[in-house]
This record gives sequence, C-alpha cells and structure tokens, in this order.
Amino acid sequence: MSGHASNTPDPKTAVLWDTEYHGHDVISTRSLGFFLYLLSDGMIFATLFAAYGVLSYQHSYFGGPTPADFVKPWYTFSQTIALFLSVLAYGMGMTALKRRSRGGLINGLLGAFVLGVLFLVLDIHDVLDLAAHGITVAASGGISAFIVLTQVHAAHIFFGLLWILVMIYQVLRLGFTADTVGRLLSLRMFWHFQAVVWVFVYIFVYLWGYMS
Amino acid sequence: MLVDLPGGWNPLLGRLAWSQIPYDNPILAPLFVAVVLGGIAIVALITYYGKWGYLWKEWLTTVDHKKLGVMYIIIGLVMLFRGFVDGLMIRTQQAWAVGPDSSGVFGALHGYLTPFHYGQVYSAHGLIMILLAATPLLVGFMNIIVPIQIGARDMAYPYLNALGLWITAAGAALIMASLFVGNFAHNGWFGYAPIFEIQYSPGVGVDYWMWTLQLLALGTTLGGINLLVTIIKMRAPGMTWFRLPIFVWASLSANIIALTSFPALQVALGLVAADRYLGAHFFTAGLGGNLMLYTNLFWIWGHPEVYFVILPAFGMMSEIFPVFSEKPLFGYITMVLASFAIAGVSWLVWLHHFFTMGAGPDVNSFFSVATMLVGIPTGVKVFNWAFTMYRGRLTFTAAMLWAIGALFLLLIGGLTGMMLAIPAINYMVHNSVFVIAHFHSMLLVIVYAVFGSVIFWFPKVFGFKLDEFWAKTMFWLFTTGTVLVFVPMYMLGFMGMTRRLDYVFNVHWQPYLLVMEGGIVVYTLSVFAFFVLLYVSIRDRVKNRVGADAWGTSRSLEWLTHSPVPFYNFAVTPHVNARDEAAWRRANGIAGVQPAKYVDIHMPNNTAVALYIGALTFVLGFALTWRIWWLCLASLVAIIVLMIVRSYRGDPGYIVTAAELERMEREAIARERQIDGSAGEPVVGGAPAVGRPAMAYERSDLPTTSTPPSMGPGARH
Amino acid sequence: MSQAQHGHHGGHGHADPILHPEVQMSSGRGYFSGFLISTLLMLIATFLVSSHAAPPFGLLLVITVCAGIATIAQIYFLLHIDISEHNIWNTVSLVAFIPLFVLTIGLTWWMFSQLYLRTMPPMPGMHG
Repeated sequence: MSGHASNTPDPKTAVLWDTEYHGHDVISTRSLGFFLYLLSDGMIFATLFAAYGVLSYQHSYFGGPTPADFVKPWYTFSQTIALFLSVLAYGMGMTALKRRSRGGLINGLLGAFVLGVLFLVLDIHDVLDLAAHGITVAASGGISAFIVLTQVHAAHIFFGLLWILVMIYQVLRLGFTADTVGRLLSLRMFWHFQAVVWVFVYIFVYLWGYMS
Repeated sequence: MLVDLPGGWNPLLGRLAWSQIPYDNPILAPLFVAVVLGGIAIVALITYYGKWGYLWKEWLTTVDHKKLGVMYIIIGLVMLFRGFVDGLMIRTQQAWAVGPDSSGVFGALHGYLTPFHYGQVYSAHGLIMILLAATPLLVGFMNIIVPIQIGARDMAYPYLNALGLWITAAGAALIMASLFVGNFAHNGWFGYAPIFEIQYSPGVGVDYWMWTLQLLALGTTLGGINLLVTIIKMRAPGMTWFRLPIFVWASLSANIIALTSFPALQVALGLVAADRYLGAHFFTAGLGGNLMLYTNLFWIWGHPEVYFVILPAFGMMSEIFPVFSEKPLFGYITMVLASFAIAGVSWLVWLHHFFTMGAGPDVNSFFSVATMLVGIPTGVKVFNWAFTMYRGRLTFTAAMLWAIGALFLLLIGGLTGMMLAIPAINYMVHNSVFVIAHFHSMLLVIVYAVFGSVIFWFPKVFGFKLDEFWAKTMFWLFTTGTVLVFVPMYMLGFMGMTRRLDYVFNVHWQPYLLVMEGGIVVYTLSVFAFFVLLYVSIRDRVKNRVGADAWGTSRSLEWLTHSPVPFYNFAVTPHVNARDEAAWRRANGIAGVQPAKYVDIHMPNNTAVALYIGALTFVLGFALTWRIWWLCLASLVAIIVLMIVRSYRGDPGYIVTAAELERMEREAIARERQIDGSAGEPVVGGAPAVGRPAMAYERSDLPTTSTPPSMGPGARH
Repeated sequence: MSQAQHGHHGGHGHADPILHPEVQMSSGRGYFSGFLISTLLMLIATFLVSSHAAPPFGLLLVITVCAGIATIAQIYFLLHIDISEHNIWNTVSLVAFIPLFVLTIGLTWWMFSQLYLRTMPPMPGMHG
C-alpha cells in the first residue's frame, strides 16, 4: 500500500501524465464527508454528555426536582419504539431503492417521516408537561443539562424530518441521479446515527436519571 | 422573554438602540469616520475602474480553491493588523498607567483606556489573533497548496469551500461590528464563568463574542471536512501515502484535530447561550451551576485548537527548509509519525490550562505528564529540521530566515511550555505574563511560518517573486520587535506581574514596560516595511516573474504547475513517481516534459449562493446578539431555503475542451520559455532538460552526504 | 490508491448510481436485525429499571451492557461499519473518534469526581 521511494520507476519510461484518470467517485466522496460530519456531531453529543455527567450530581439540582421525580420510563420507551420504527422504515426505503422501486422508497421515507413526527410529538408533549410543573431549564443546573441534552437530540430529529420531506420532493421531481442517491445515503447515515445517539440518551439520561 | 434583560427590548429592534453607538468615545468615533471614509473611497475606486463585474465573477462567486485561499489570507492579514493594533493599545496602556502618579485621559484614571474598554481590547485581541488571523491564514494556505500538492484539480467540495470562507468573513464582520454598535466582551478571549452570565455582563458584548466564535467554529469544521476528504480521496495516481508532501501530512493531522475538537467549543458556547438566552443554570453561581465546567468544556476544544494551528506551521517549515538547503527533508517518516503523535497527545492535556482550579494532585499529575510527552515528537521535528539543514547548501532567502526564526521561537516557546507543564511551577506563574510570553512565542512560530510561506509560495500563486530586500528588512524589524517585547515579558512574569492589568501598580516594572513599548514601535515599523514590500514587489513584478519552478531548488508536486497556477491546476492529471516529484523530475531531466495529448476536463461553476448564505449568517449572528427574534427566524429560514434550492438545482459544472486546454498550455509554456528559457520540448518521452546548475548532493567535489531517499537506485546521480 | 476503487463506475455520475456499492449494501435483514436487537435490549433495560429489579450499581452495569450491545448492533447493521473496501474509511474514522468520546467523558468525570471529593461536603446519594 505504501510506495516506498525505492520503488521509483525508471525515469526514461515513467508515466508522467495520466489522461485515463477519471477522478473521484462522486457518491463515495459525498458519503465520507458526511460521515465525518456525523462523527463531529457525535462529538457534540459526547461533550453534552460530559456536561450532563458533571451536572447530574445531587447538588446540581439545588434541592429541586430531579429526573427520578419526573421520568416516566414506559412513556419514553414509546418514544424509543417510534424512533426505532422510523429508522427501520427508512432502512426499508433504502432496500427499495436497491430494487429501483421509487414507490417503495417514497413509502419508506413517508413511514420514517410519520414515525419521526410521532417521536417529536411525544417528546414535545413531555417537555410541555414538565414546563407546566415548573421543571424548566431555569430550575437548576441539573435540569438544564437534562433538558438541553434531550432536546438537542430532538432538534436533530426535527431537521432530519425536514430533510426527509425535501428528499421526497427531490426524488419525485429529479428521480435517481447521483446527487439525489448520494443525499439519500447521507440521510440514511444521519437517521441511523440518531438511533445510536438515542440509545445513549435513553439509557444514560432517562433510565439512569430515573434510577438515581 | 425568558431572561430578565437589563436595558430595553422592543419586538422590532431587540436590544438595538441609538444609544448603543459610541458617539462620545474619543477613539471609536474618529475611527468610525475613518472607516466610513475609507469604505467610500474603496467603493469609489472600484466603480471608477469599472471592476464590479470582475470582482463578482472572479472573486465573490468563485469556488476555485486558490482564490478562496487568497481571500482567506487577505482576511487573515487584515485581522492580523486589527489584532496588532489591539496589541499596540494594550502595550501603550501598560507602559503609561504605571504607578499611582501616572496621568489619565479620556475618562480613565490612569492611562487612556478605562478598565471597561481595556477589557474589551484584550478580549478582542486574543480572539482575533487566534481565530481570525492565525486560523484563516493557515486555512488559506492549506486551501491553496494541498490540492496542487496532491495533483488534484480542486478540493472535494468546492461549493462548501466557498461557504466556509464566507461564513468566516461573516464572523470577521460580526466582530468588527462590535466596535461600532454596542460593546465587545470583557471576559478575556476564552471567557470565565460566571462573569459572562447575564447578571455580570448585561450588555451585548458576550453575545457578540459567543456568536462570532460559533460562526468561526462552523466555518472551520466545514473546511476541516473538506480538507480531510480531499486528501483521502483526491490524490493523483501514484500519489501513495508515503509520497505525500509533508505539508499535506501536516494538514491532515491538523484537520483531524479540528474536526474532533471544534464541536466541544460549539457545545461550551451553546451552553453559555442557554444560560444567557434561556435562563439555564449551566455555569451560574448558584442553583446548581458549575463554574469549572465551562473552563473544562472550553479547553477540551482550546488545547487541541492550538495544535491545530501549530501543525500546519510545522508543515510549512518542513517545506521551506529542504528547498533552501537543497536537500530532502530529513526523517520524512518520523516527521509524519511525530505529527500524528502530537495530534493524539494534544487530546490528553487540556487540564494544564487550569491546574489551579482544584482537581487535585492525581488529576494534575496525569495531565502534567501527558503535556510533557508532547515535547518528544516536537523535539523529533526540531532535530529533523536541524539535520535537514546540516551539510546542505543553505541559501538565506527571506523565506528561509523566517523559517529559521520560527525554529528559534519554537525552542523558547517549547521549553517554557515544558516549564509550565509542571504544576509546581504552574502554580507560581499561572495567570502571569510568563504564560503570555510563552504562548506568544508559540503563536509567533505560526506567524513566522506564515510570513515565510507567503514569500515562499507567492511566486507560485501570483507569478512573480516578492522583493528580497524589503522582505528581509521586514524580517529583521519584526524579529527585533519580538525580542524587545517578549524578553522583558518573560522577566516580568517571573517578577510576578499578572496578565490583563489595566493599571500596573509596581513602578519598578516600568523600565521593562517601556522597553516593550519600544518593541511595539519596531513592530509598527515592520508593518510599514510590509506595505513597502507589497508596493515595490508589485511595481517590479515584470522584472521578478518566474516560471514553474520559482526557486530553482523546489521539491514537491505543486512546483510542476505554471506560475501563476491556471484555474485548472494541471491540464492533465500528473502521475506521481516519487516523493518530492518535482525534484525527481528535475534531477532526471524530465521536468519540462509536457503531456502528449489533452482531454476534456470538468470544472465546477461559480455560485453566488455561498456568498448569500455567508451574508445571512452574519445577519443571523447580529440578530441573535441583539435578540431581534423575527430577524433570527427570518435569516435562519432564508439560509435553509437557499440550501434546499441550491441542492435541488445542483451544479452540472462546465467542460473545458482539450483544444482550449492545449491553447492555454501553449501560451503558458511560451511565457515560461521567455522567462527562464528552461521549459522542455512539449513532447512526451525522455527529452533531456536544458542544462542547469548541479544540486548540492549531485556534485562530486563536495564532501559526500547521505543519499537522499527520493533518489532511488534507478535515478541519475 | 484512489483510482483503484470503483474503477468500473468512473467519475461524474456516468455510471448508474443505484449500482454503487453503498446503495447495494442495504439489506432488509440487516436493518431488521439491528432494529430487533436494539429494541429488545431497550425493552429489557426499561423493564429492569422500572421494576427496580436490582440495587442501583448493579442495575447501572446491566443497562450499560444493554446500551453497549445495542450500539454495536446498530453500528454494524445500520451504519454498515465493517472493513469492506467501500466502508473502510468510515470505520477508520469511527475508530479514531471513539477514544476521543471516551476521553472527553471519562477524563471530565474523573476530574470532577476528584474536585467534588476535595471541595464538596460529603453528601448522601452522590453518584459514583
């Protein structure tokens, strides 16, 4: 793999210019860049988790409500189901793409959209319910960390849903071009990545918070 | 409103009000007039020469990595100048306000800056120098040089590249706006909790600071992704990993750091925004906030960041030394490994910025040892540069002088860094000007490397060399200034002078401060020398024109392109056969061999969307700062809509036909032949090169040196 | 190295995008497996936590293991992280980032637990 300099070709016969070189593969170039962006996004979550870890000690709640008081595990589990089903729907859409089925792809995207909206509705309902009980970011450092971390994930879902709508429109109007397919692949990575992040949010913020 | 805002707020203008404009500030008011007049003059000049079309087509809508890089460098140099003026103001205040008998003007008790303004000056100075001067300068160079060093036609994402530039420009505009509308932060460039909370900083200064940083973080992250994918995916055929030019390796390791660390900054600042905008309690004093948490999160970014800026500087030095020693870089592989070792270890050391905050001896020891470990790969680099120069044929051009100066500064900065790594010493000098002198020594390594690179690569980008005499004059003035400012600063640090003093209480320090003020005057002279350098060089540009190999002893692939580099970089993608390809071809007499035939190439179109989105990010940052909610929403929606529209329309690009390419190439070759008469015949095959002076390692009358690794067994000696 | 990959596709979208390996690697079975494994593990974790089935420390360990296995399943099935030629750079990048996630969270946690030990009065119910 590494060309050591001792492999230098004979200058009299060396190829100096390459007219056959067709450049980079557009789709895999896009995917790699997007995956790198996703990893940096993962770093955002890791930093938020570090902050949450620091602020999850008893004194960070300033005597006020703690997640143990208000987390409802089975309610949040329903959010988990919604999100994971949404991710599955998107995956099925991508297998339809493999079979060149535009209808199958659109169905997958729509399914992912609807289930994602369900996740968001459940999440927003939860947040509003908390706010009604005075559990907002202004309550304490610990609650700030809880709400910001969970809602940053929700914000990712929101923008992902917007993107799904855009892709439905683009596929309907432009068909399967290198660009639209490349974007669908990026969106797949994004959406599946949200499921991975959710595992951590669910286990270490909701469930662990409930236990403490 | 979720937080109690002191001062007014109305739905249309947020916190913006006429009273926020500092009419009565004796420094800012005349400056504003000067800026407006200067702006009008520039607009008038452009209109008079009818250059708006040219500006729009060639610069404002370009996606060409070279032009974007030049614009990054222009932003960097302009902001370097602004940061320098801030530094001048700091020095002057400290030289003036010494002792209780010192006079005070402009409403200050001592000196000429009130503490309120002085705080803003040093906060702006730090932020500008690191993120708006050093970073854009380095990113600009990486943008220009990396694609041509790997034989690519452009970066992986040209449109994203343009977007990154305009977002950076928006950040620069935002911090410049803070001069004239409202105030800037006074919490230092990196901020402290809880002084940046709304309770203790009720004005907009901290908000300006936050959103400027967020914009710059976004721009740098996008640029980092671009560079990484370019290096991984777009190397020319034959450009295997171990044939990569060393600057590309430096860019690779630096951008890995950027990609991994900037998110931490975005979170740290985002949480400050949550506190200031939503009334959260992440870093408040009370209600469960944790003050040290901010410092921790910030420096998780902050430490890798300084390695992000130093590694490209090391890469630049590694490019300059071999060319002016007429020898290949000593220890290429260890240089590469050292870069990655530095990048890796840089992730383990961030607590050394707050040893004194109370984490305890166990934690401190871990981070101390990790910090000291970084000295090992850095030392490897220093020795490799020294061995590169050893027994080489040294030419002390201005670029070489800057590189050697950088090496000396690295020694001083690095050694003082090792001292600071020891908690026992750190506790004594924490927050003193010893720390300031240390990190300025390190940042000056970057400045020196950048100036050296400007001189080194200027002929490649613009087609003519800079005037050597004035470049050297500038170097000597700048170096004198450096010595005069920072040697006394180290001494003052040991004597206990703390940083950020707006009033210096100890009159015994005044002689040192006066020497430092003299140093700033010398720096100012070097700035004048720079302007003279530009004038003289542009005036004499025809005389100083160069061909492809501007220095005659260049080594890496980019020196095979024409000077200035055409928009397509290489007409035909080069096939790489060795490390230091240009040196290999020149040594084997095939440097002038042109392609036998040309093929059509595909280039990206210009686009105005990147410019519009960049402008909108400025509006968004401004609206967020002043809490003009409708404008925040509107600009955010506009950005998203533009992104969607752009993605829908895409960019089919355009074709440059083989015939056009051949025509442009013939013109370029004819021009080169006229300049230095050494361009080869335009045929493929082993046409011998026109005679040229033998390289140091080729001459038999000199004492033998080790065989350079790029000369394989098949090459001619 | 870069021209060896996807040689039959060429660049600039001349080839059919559907035939690209990244599209072809989608697998209904894989996605369903990822879904099933992670959902079941989340179910188990929820059940154990809501029924307070074990003391806090042991419970934390168990749900951490659940999270770990679920994550690995998702990374393999959903994110297609493997060592095939077209995924290798994604894998390398992920492997480079994971230690940084661990360091960010781990070193922060260590730092602050030490800080709290030294500066906070001892409190009942403090997390480990």
